[in-house]
Amino acid sequence: MMTLGSKIFIFSVAILVGTFSFRQLEEKPLLSEPSNFPKPVYHFKSNALTDEGVALGKTLFYDAILSKDNSISCGSCHQQSAGFTQHGHELSHGVNDQFTKRNSMPLFNLAWANSFGWDGGVHDLDFFAISPIQNPVEMDELLGNVLEKLRKSNTYPALFEKAYGSKEINTERFLKALSQFMLTMVSANSKYDKVVRSEGVVFTQEEEKGMALFDQKCSVCHSGELFTDFKFRNNGLKLDRNDDMGRYEVTQLEEDKFKFKVPSLRNLTATAPYMHDGRFKTLEEVLDHYEANLENSPTIDPILKKDGKIGIDMTAEEKKQIIAFLKTLDDEDFLTDPRFAESTAIVATKKKTIEDDIVDLRTQNTTFNTGLQKSIVAYLKIKEALLAKNSNLVSSSTTYFLNTIDKTNSATLSNVQKEKFKKWQENLIFNGTHIIEGKGNLPHQVEHFSELSKIFYVLIASFNPNTETLYFYSKGNSDHWLSDKENEKNWVILKNTPSDDNLQVRMIAPQK
Amino acid sequence: MKKILFFLLICSVSFVNAQRTGSLNIQFDNFVGTEPVVLNDKKYSNALGEQFNISLLQYFVSNIKLIKKDGSAYIVPQNESYFLIRESNPASKKITLNNIPKGKYTGISFVIGVDSARSASEISERKGCLDIAGDAKDMYWVWNSGYIFVKMEGTSSAIDRKNPIFMYHIGLFGGIGEKKTLNNIQVATFDFGKQALKVKASDKNLTLGIKADVAKILNGETNVSMKTNPVIMGGPFSKKIAENYKTMFSFAGLHKQTAETFNKESALGMK
Repeated sequence: MMTLGSKIFIFSVAILVGTFSFRQLEEKPLLSEPSNFPKPVYHFKSNALTDEGVALGKTLFYDAILSKDNSISCGSCHQQSAGFTQHGHELSHGVNDQFTKRNSMPLFNLAWANSFGWDGGVHDLDFFAISPIQNPVEMDELLGNVLEKLRKSNTYPALFEKAYGSKEINTERFLKALSQFMLTMVSANSKYDKVVRSEGVVFTQEEEKGMALFDQKCSVCHSGELFTDFKFRNNGLKLDRNDDMGRYEVTQLEEDKFKFKVPSLRNLTATAPYMHDGRFKTLEEVLDHYEANLENSPTIDPILKKDGKIGIDMTAEEKKQIIAFLKTLDDEDFLTDPRFAESTAIVATKKKTIEDDIVDLRTQNTTFNTGLQKSIVAYLKIKEALLAKNSNLVSSSTTYFLNTIDKTNSATLSNVQKEKFKKWQENLIFNGTHIIEGKGNLPHQVEHFSELSKIFYVLIASFNPNTETLYFYSKGNSDHWLSDKENEKNWVILKNTPSDDNLQVRMIAPQK
Repeated sequence: MKKILFFLLICSVSFVNAQRTGSLNIQFDNFVGTEPVVLNDKKYSNALGEQFNISLLQYFVSNIKLIKKDGSAYIVPQNESYFLIRESNPASKKITLNNIPKGKYTGISFVIGVDSARSASEISERKGCLDIAGDAKDMYWVWNSGYIFVKMEGTSSAIDRKNPIFMYHIGLFGGIGEKKTLNNIQVATFDFGKQALKVKASDKNLTLGIKADVAKILNGETNVSMKTNPVIMGGPFSKKIAENYKTMFSFAGLHKQTAETFNKESALGMK
């Protein structure tokens, strides 16, 4: 009888295997394995990619339902055009505009990775997503609640049924679907790849020289076609900046202090700023660091300390050549591939918008309204200074702006009004302080000005103290500014993307 | 035809099982020394004389083996051998093992926590109390993948802070591949003294009582000072706590009785 049981079992296995191979033969593989890459290490055997599974994963990846207040999706901090990092952000922003401790890692070629995150605390891609979902400064939600929200949604049970054959939504199905989508994100179509695969493209002389130098000076750590050895190393970053101990926080081993994952070097142009905390804005700064600015600490990688001398020898000319080579690792096809784009994802849940934060808090309190009117004037002065690219003036105008915000007397407001005002006030002070301290670093000031503008807009739209019409311009997730002018587009010159795509304008009419 | 054969197969398997196996309940009761644990309201003191109360107490028990006099053992099938005991949930403190081969058992052993193989296993293996978004959600470290084996929290007047809470979250299974961490997996093994557990067919009321003396989390080779170490999670000191608690479980008696009378006795503080 046992034999019969086993036979039935074997028979069902055979059916499964049969279906599987049929799939493989009939369809274009969802995961393209580049010929110049090694074999992927992900366990596809227990999570075979399917069209429906990948589509479900993509929907989830771009759905803010994963966060506590439906405001942030995976795609908010992992944007395709930035190599799935967060554009221009040193540290990523989570719900309520809180900052994380680290720069979001690029997402590509994950099927070849054997650990995840800057400290490698997670060993299997399937277990990664729960970390940002539950981190209080990222999505701040419990995975159990996410699953509950998905079960109640109008869209998801059907999507899960398509992917898995039944409407059941559980931890395994959820995490595997997200992995499926992320696994399809393969970046292997850079100029470099085309050269090594002899696809009719050749390096310039400078790139050629850069590659030879790279092989000599960088390739021990940034090795192979993935441009990382997946190890954890202390690359001599100055320790004064923060107390992030990296790998040590996972292993508690003295020898792991200040070690971080060696990142891939693909798509560097898109993934700036660099290092686990985004401290370097340009590749030039990165190479200067390796040449001359290394901090000697007990765990610094021995490879950076050859013959008792710290640093990698490079002339200015050599650095240029290395950077020219590194830029051949940019993969425009990957950064624009519609298969990975948010614009092609199913929209399953309505995302929380800035408008959702606006509440009617209008007051007849003249002292308070006059206070805010002064702040509006002060705000517009900061913007003028930014347009003039005068970083010092930006800094001092912001000091003045914060002063007006600080002096605005909210004592006679209702409790609800006071509470809201206090929250926005704190947030404005936080971003304003960054602008003030960012003197000399215009891009940093722009970044915080954008955040400050968003909060200031919500504040002004809620209390509505303005006597003139104001306009709030918003481009994507991270570019915001307020203006007293209709049709103001000058502001975009501060960003490298001077186009009207996704530009939204909202109006705040004066209070009657 | 196939259906009939399958039916016969099921019948005969159940018939065989009914003949050869029985079930066993295990009741876990938590104590501090000789005092039963009462959450929040009761005060205890540790070996260093620090007073504390307990607001949360929970631990994993897994890989249960029932040991016979000759040293041979019945190993509970892997997938049925994971339990999360929560002081706040009385139902979780009584577990039931089914399909145990008939016979006399004189001892037991189990892992305090989750074994390293399951700790490193794929998501498909994380069902029931191991579901990281479900039952195990407060017993799992998401940023450093792994289960918390033993978790005890409360407050102590010895802690000189505004909010004098202590939190002992002990986990770490040794790591995976190149990721080496501490290994705090401990195995509890003890015998039933002169008594023996007689597993019989269709006996649903056989209950093994196990006492967990959680004072041993704090007292032992290392007497843990709540004042000095109010929060321990994953650091090197966690090793000392795990060494302490490996002896916290002991045999508390055999009961062949109805669940009702057993619960009554428990309620009266007799168990």
